[in-house]
Amino acid sequence: MKTFYTSVVELRQRFDTAVETHPYECGWADEAIFFVETHDLTPGTRLALRVQVSPDGIRWLDEGTELELTDTGFVRVAHFGGFLRMVGTAVDTEARPVPVTVSVRLALKG
Amino acid sequence: MTSTGFFDPLPRVLVADDFDRGMSGWLDLRPNFVAPGFREHSDDIDLIHWGPTMLSSATFAFGGTHGSAQGTYSLKISSRAAAAPPDEPPAPGSMGLSIKRLAVPAGTRRVRVEALIAYKAEQDRPGLGVDDVRAFGLFVDLQDEVHRYMPGVRYVNAVAGQPVRRWQFYSPTDVTDEQWSYGADGWHKAGIDPQWFGARRADGSTVATTWFPDGAQHLIYNESDDKLNWMPLSLTVNLETRSYEEFRVGTRRFSFPDGAHPTLAPAYNDIEGLLNPVFFVEADTDRRVSLFVDSVVISAETGERS
Repeated sequence: MKTFYTSVVELRQRFDTAVETHPYECGWADEAIFFVETHDLTPGTRLALRVQVSPDGIRWLDEGTELELTDTGFVRVAHFGGFLRMVGTAVDTEARPVPVTVSVRLALKG
Repeated sequence: MTSTGFFDPLPRVLVADDFDRGMSGWLDLRPNFVAPGFREHSDDIDLIHWGPTMLSSATFAFGGTHGSAQGTYSLKISSRAAAAPPDEPPAPGSMGLSIKRLAVPAGTRRVRVEALIAYKAEQDRPGLGVDDVRAFGLFVDLQDEVHRYMPGVRYVNAVAGQPVRRWQFYSPTDVTDEQWSYGADGWHKAGIDPQWFGARRADGSTVATTWFPDGAQHLIYNESDDKLNWMPLSLTVNLETRSYEEFRVGTRRFSFPDGAHPTLAPAYNDIEGLLNPVFFVEADTDRRVSLFVDSVVISAETGERS
């Protein structure tokens, strides 16, 4: 039977500028889903996030998967090495960066 | 059970968690989300942003993968990059805590929690980060018919950037419930959750800690933020007397004063008989720190001969 674990990596976490989720070590897993939930997003605000991978949890590179959302969303990731995180920004209707509060749940299986 | 020679369990091994086989029931310690809108039940201090628990291969930029004492994976308990001054309540995210929820078997007289541990600051800058780790520790949440109590030990590694390297244990407090919760007239009883409640002092103590008389110890942090050594730790508690019995770590065996025990608080609802070990780590600066825990063995002695 496979191992499964969901980490609530960010819970109702406010990011004033750029979103950077906690570096999550998950080299044991073959596949992952980031579930992203925004809280009290002002209508018209859009949150754009990118998945990043890292060899050490410190130096990060874009993995290629992106997610844009105005409420909730998810992305699937596989073949990601040892560490995962999401980064990005929220912008208002005039493309100005705005604070955002998110919950991020990382579902891992392998 | 792996790495058997490091462990000296009581006759009944309740669980032996090898993290090469998954999280084994360890997860982030979070509050009760029972308020309207699934909010936390009280907001004395921010309890929902501690760093997450994960399975780690202990992989670093220059040394590669460290692995665990036996195998690849250990439990990694991480803080976020945040810290409050040592005489203030913990800052949001300044700790990481991992809990496992069990129940005391019938007739249990003593409980022992053993683990292999290592602690590190994130190697995100040159130099040595040992003094960015404020503290780490282990406690057990217990309740019988009369009392809830949390025996535990805490290694105060550094305070405000200055090395301390000394062990303390959770001891009785006589402050009011309100004082315990930093002035909030709330739900928590004095002595419960000493890892984040109870006024902190500038020397690294709190209103519910006592320094071991012989508690100075230079643990193996090692000489670089990417080198770790697995050190054995063992805490034994007597459930009949609700007192400490024995604490061993590394090559040392620390003596508790006769009859030493933590605060004995009134029993809470619906948790009689719980047996919840918790490991935690605390940051001293705005830098992530981690406690690595390899196999955890929880054992018991009952009145019957095994």
